[in-house]
Amino acid sequence: MPPKKNVSTPSSTSAAPSAAVATPISTPQTSHNVPSSNPISILEGIFKNYSQSTPQRTKLIDAFLGFLVITGVLQFVYCVVAGNYPFNAFLAGFSATVGQFVLTASLRIQSNPANKSEFASVSPERAFADFVFCSIILHLFCTNFIN
Amino acid sequence: MRLQLQSDMASRTAFLLFFVNLFVSWVSATPLTGGRVLAVIEEQYDSTKYSQFLMDLKGRGYDVKLEPAKKDTLSLFEHGEKVWDHVILFPPKFKGYGPALTPQKLLEFTKLGGNVLILTSPSSIPEQVRELARELDIGLPPKDYITVDHFNYDTVSKSEKHDVILANRPAVSPAVHNYFSGKQDDLIAFRGAGHTLGNGPLLVPLLTAPRTAYTYDSKEDFAYAQDPWAAGTQMQLVSAMQARNNARITLVGSVDMFSNEFFDMKVQKPGSTKPQKTANKEFCRDVAAWTFGEKGIVKVNSIKHYLSNEPNAPVNPNMYRIKNDVTFEIELSEYDIDRWVPFKVPSGDSLQLEFTMLDPYYRVPLLPSSTSSNATTFTTSFKIPDQHGVFAFRVNYKRPYITYIDEKYSVTVRHFAHDEYTRSWDISGAWVWIAGIAVTIIGWIGFCALWLWSAPAAAKVGVKKTQ
Repeated sequence: MPPKKNVSTPSSTSAAPSAAVATPISTPQTSHNVPSSNPISILEGIFKNYSQSTPQRTKLIDAFLGFLVITGVLQFVYCVVAGNYPFNAFLAGFSATVGQFVLTASLRIQSNPANKSEFASVSPERAFADFVFCSIILHLFCTNFIN
Repeated sequence: MRLQLQSDMASRTAFLLFFVNLFVSWVSATPLTGGRVLAVIEEQYDSTKYSQFLMDLKGRGYDVKLEPAKKDTLSLFEHGEKVWDHVILFPPKFKGYGPALTPQKLLEFTKLGGNVLILTSPSSIPEQVRELARELDIGLPPKDYITVDHFNYDTVSKSEKHDVILANRPAVSPAVHNYFSGKQDDLIAFRGAGHTLGNGPLLVPLLTAPRTAYTYDSKEDFAYAQDPWAAGTQMQLVSAMQARNNARITLVGSVDMFSNEFFDMKVQKPGSTKPQKTANKEFCRDVAAWTFGEKGIVKVNSIKHYLSNEPNAPVNPNMYRIKNDVTFEIELSEYDIDRWVPFKVPSGDSLQLEFTMLDPYYRVPLLPSSTSSNATTFTTSFKIPDQHGVFAFRVNYKRPYITYIDEKYSVTVRHFAHDEYTRSWDISGAWVWIAGIAVTIIGWIGFCALWLWSAPAAAKVGVKKTQ
């Protein structure tokens, strides 16, 4: 057990400084000084920053969130345009998407390494298990409610 | 052995009783509402004056008993039950009727279902009749007021006063039942006083005065009327009140209408070429027949309601569901002199069914669907409204000249049970939201798979190292 701890900790600590070192190097030198007035380059900077520094799983969550937003907007637009006739169906469909969005956002907060200090007692595995459990309940509820 | 004997005796008495019953029912082929008629008439002479009318009643199965108005033993009731089914009051010779015929007693008599036919003459309207008329909201003229008509009088009887007026039968209306219309060129001779009707909804005119008739005080010696008491078609010659229990009180302004003299009289209107016989006999028979319940009695034979779309649905269930398709049937018969005939709704009228909870939610016409030899079935189908609660099927048909129909049957209307709603996939409008749920769930499964697959590299390194 001790060796494992010893081995694992240096690697994580070494990774963290390297990331921390990498960001300052990229930001002040290239993007901050010269083209600060150009909005496109700012957006490019944000995108680059995001794609470089965000963990793989958080990116996955973000993609899923985006997908849910699109699905939810489509359902709502349909309701506005075509009417809410089977109202329970609208509620079920829309709340399935919204609820899934909320649960996924919660997962993102809990599993984000940046928030580790706030959720000391919640490991990423535990957060994911909670997420799966709540999602299943949500799906059961919605399929039942749409009748 | 003894037991057997007893049962034998019992069966024999039952057998006998059956035959006695049969005999009784055959002998008393009485009218529907009973045949015991009390005719309050003063003298023997009077009864011969009206013998045709009274004989006609007897011929139709009535047991007519003549009694003088002041007779002490005369009573309408015995042990709280009415002794007579119908009463005819002829005008008394003296001041009034005896203590048996006070207005209160007469009203009590009608409360028990008895019918009253009141005949008056201008010279003798007793106080009892005035009081009764006041209670019924019928305005009787003062003593010695008579009705005359200088355009529709009888030229044959050569009366200077023009007091034998000739009235036409009431016009046929498409909206009401016509029991008094007869032939349209019939003339009815009338000598007496008209009366006015109040606003009571139970009052109906049977014979209305001609347009040019008026009532005035005959004791004043004027060649014309200074101050007519009532005039024109607002004045009624014969009118009736049908109480809420369907008992009928008919008031006739002229007793002479019912006399043999008027039955056989030939009359002629001014301007017409030849005299014609009066229709008094037929009209008086109509009046008496209607008053005594030989006509205009409507009976509800049966009421059925059931689910329209299910062939084996129970009849008259206590409960329906909202939006059920329901059929309602009511079978009606009408009594016509001596038998039940199919009831017909006049062409200008409509029999309606109400589906009510405090207020009618629906009021739909009931249409005749089938007719048997003595009844008509009226049917309607409708969809129960989207409202649960205790509803009532109600047929409220109250029309002049016929007995009132007011039938009410409550049913419970429940809402959908949870498994009776339409499934969402049967509604095309819900398909988008079904797709929304499906996409969300599929997306979630894919997300979970990707999540598990893309475990962070750091953890993997750790696991590898330990192994």
